Amino acid sequence: MSEILGCEKVTKKFGGLTALNEVSLSVVKGEIFGIIGPNGSGKTTLLNVIAGLIRLDEGRILLDGRDITKLKPHERVKLGIARMFQGMRVFPYLPVYLNVELVARSIYGDVRLARARTSWALTMSGLLPEAGELPIRLTPYKLRMLEFARILVSNPKIALLDEPFAGLTPDEAEAMIGLIRKFNSLGVTFVIVEHKLRYLMRIANRVAVLNQGVKIAEGRPEDVVRNPQVIEVYLGVS
Amino acid sequence: MYVDIYKYILLFSIFHSSTYLTFSLGFSMLFGVAKIPNLAYGSLYILSAYVMYALTTYIGLEPLVAALVAILVAGLASLLIGEVVVKPGLKMPVSVFITTLSVAYIFEEFFRIEMGLRPITLPVYPGVTYVLGVPVSNHWFLILSASLLMFLSLTAFLKYAVLGRSIRAVAESWDESRRLGIDPLKVLRVAFFVAGVYAGATGVLLTPLKALTPTAGWGPLFTAFAIVALGGVGSVTGTLIASFIYGFFEQSMTYVLGSGVASISPLILIVLVLVFRPQGLMGRVE
Amino acid sequence: MSVVFAKRSAKDLIVGKIPFLIALAVLTLLPLLNVGGFWLDVLTKVNLFLLVTLAIDLYSGTTYYLNLGVSFTFGFAGYSLALLNVYYGIPTEYSMLLAIPISIFFSLAILLPSLKIRGVYFAILSLLVPIIFVGIVTAQPFSLYLGGEGGLRFKQLFLDFARSLPPGVRLTFLQYSYYYISLAAAVVGYVIAYKIGFSDFGFMLRAVGQDEELAEGTGINTLKVKVIGFLISSAYASVAGALYASMRPPVTVDLVVPANTLIPPLTSVIVGGLGTLIGPAIANYLLLLTYELLWGLIGRWRVIAYMLLLIIIITIKPQGIVFKAYVEARKFLRGVFSE
Repeated sequence: MSEILGCEKVTKKFGGLTALNEVSLSVVKGEIFGIIGPNGSGKTTLLNVIAGLIRLDEGRILLDGRDITKLKPHERVKLGIARMFQGMRVFPYLPVYLNVELVARSIYGDVRLARARTSWALTMSGLLPEAGELPIRLTPYKLRMLEFARILVSNPKIALLDEPFAGLTPDEAEAMIGLIRKFNSLGVTFVIVEHKLRYLMRIANRVAVLNQGVKIAEGRPEDVVRNPQVIEVYLGVS
Repeated sequence: MYVDIYKYILLFSIFHSSTYLTFSLGFSMLFGVAKIPNLAYGSLYILSAYVMYALTTYIGLEPLVAALVAILVAGLASLLIGEVVVKPGLKMPVSVFITTLSVAYIFEEFFRIEMGLRPITLPVYPGVTYVLGVPVSNHWFLILSASLLMFLSLTAFLKYAVLGRSIRAVAESWDESRRLGIDPLKVLRVAFFVAGVYAGATGVLLTPLKALTPTAGWGPLFTAFAIVALGGVGSVTGTLIASFIYGFFEQSMTYVLGSGVASISPLILIVLVLVFRPQGLMGRVE
Repeated sequence: MSVVFAKRSAKDLIVGKIPFLIALAVLTLLPLLNVGGFWLDVLTKVNLFLLVTLAIDLYSGTTYYLNLGVSFTFGFAGYSLALLNVYYGIPTEYSMLLAIPISIFFSLAILLPSLKIRGVYFAILSLLVPIIFVGIVTAQPFSLYLGGEGGLRFKQLFLDFARSLPPGVRLTFLQYSYYYISLAAAVVGYVIAYKIGFSDFGFMLRAVGQDEELAEGTGINTLKVKVIGFLISSAYASVAGALYASMRPPVTVDLVVPANTLIPPLTSVIVGGLGTLIGPAIANYLLLLTYELLWGLIGRWRVIAYMLLLIIIITIKPQGIVFKAYVEARKFLRGVFSE
């Protein structure tokens, strides 16, 4: 049980609003770690903080025991943190293969290696037939796969997924679960933020619950959902 | 008679600032609503001045009537610019940059051809008053009171009138205001008209003290740009403060460095402000 | 802007090169048809403005950061040339070359801090830079050294050599040599711009323009990409400015005034289609030559007519009309070739 990603007393304020209040997490190598919570509870902010898109007010972020709090987002990607954004964000006017290849090019110095990794990632996510298309022509599921390919191409140690099941049909969600499990078994650690608990509860090894920027519970999924505080938060909001 | 230079700087920075304020208010409001700077804004300044000049010189209208007609013309011209030029390009801010700039050049060229480069001037409100021992043309007091009136009425309009509040809502967010049942395009129309009136009013007020040529619209435009950058887009209080900072800085620099360098020294100040506080002094962080 | 840049077959490339080669042939042979000194001067200017158009399209057309300081870079190169010439006695041929790095350096130094500013504020800030420069050049203490309104005078490019020629051919020699220098600069500039614009680096610039946060979050060093893009853009504007100034002394603030050296190329970029390079390049020739033609047709009303035309074109097709037309023409050509 060795820690791969650690958040120590992470605090972030926007104006008078406290988005994250002394949140501490410890993600173990090889697990699937879920973060749940109602809307506005700070889940996405936490992912942004880990990815480096938002500067911390206080606290530290550790990757493999190394302090990465001051590193820029692109430097963190090089160290093995890959991020999937909420709401299927891609470069709309670049063809599918370039959406993936640009990430590879900025990580690997060697062009040939970048190209090879790109075609591997496109094959893995089943996007090879659409490689030359613009993302506008893809279905929502294929767009998710494009984002997945973008994560794979960077050969990450840890992948941050923000609501990966949103907008997918049940069948597509099953396929996504299959992919996550597959790459988890190949050694990629996953941190998954999800609003809907149905799918997350099935794959997560451990879950943390955020409410109004504070971590209110952490543990195995089946234990967490029985926690009275968590039930109150979820029933109180929804 | 010996005049204390500090009094002089203070007085005239207040007078100049008040004209900057009137002109920038319209620009700032429009910028806030449309999210795009209207580069044709300076042409409304020269348009109203030329219209008033034509009405008083060729038709012999009373200056007050001519001024009101000229301001109305500027308002309508602004409305027209908004409808024809800005609206089709709202989704493509870069193209609005070019089209409004083209409009500015059309006005400039038109007046260059029709009126020539010879500077024109308008009737001054007569008389001189001594303030703290400094002689001041009564026209400055006309400007000061008109500016104050326009500032207060705009503030009240934005705060209390339904239309004014919709302007603020649209400036905040187009999508949100649509959800509230406000038609942003209608609000944009109002904003264009009001902005035109404010630019036009500055034109007829200031031209009597400053000669006007077809290229005279650019200076005020950049001043407004600078003030809005300093005060934050769409912020009335920010515009007020920024106008006075600008005016004071410019007037003091005039005495320190001479008028040539002084006219650009506030711009340098603004570059520094933008580099260190990109959202402006009063602007909010997004 | 929804353009598929991917999957270009060999035939596509051939069809794509044919219009380019035709344009090159026409521009190379045109002076031999005795077009007259006036049009030779105009074409020289248009060739050099192509570099400015490309400078804007390579950076602003891809990243959507509207850098209006291009005219500062252009004019600063001219002023550097003139100052080196006037105060250090360096002949125009050499001071022109020295002016290019100087201008690039100053543009970077002045505009670099503003690269972190996003959106319309960047455009405003970059527009203030040339305005301030004009103010400094025409203001009292500086105007004594920088020539003020009258500008700085120096010997134009190749003048010494031209004086060694018989009087009858002097002017012709200058005009023709300037024209071919400008054409060479335009062609080399275009080919390099095309290579950069559609390289991985060019696509990174586009990625920054399409979603900067996403680009940063997926591993692209956006600041580095923007700085290098800006550097390339400044290099284009500096080369254009130095060449332009060397051919047309004296150097005056007209070089820096945005109306002269920013608006025409910027217009070409927008009418041509942002980030497409070929569109702005074609628009550069079409628009600037139209502008000169209008002079003969309606005299002093040409500015108004030109501006009205622009407003109409941009209002109807904000996404750039020329590139669309070019794509259609290519489709047609491809049809002809496949039969």
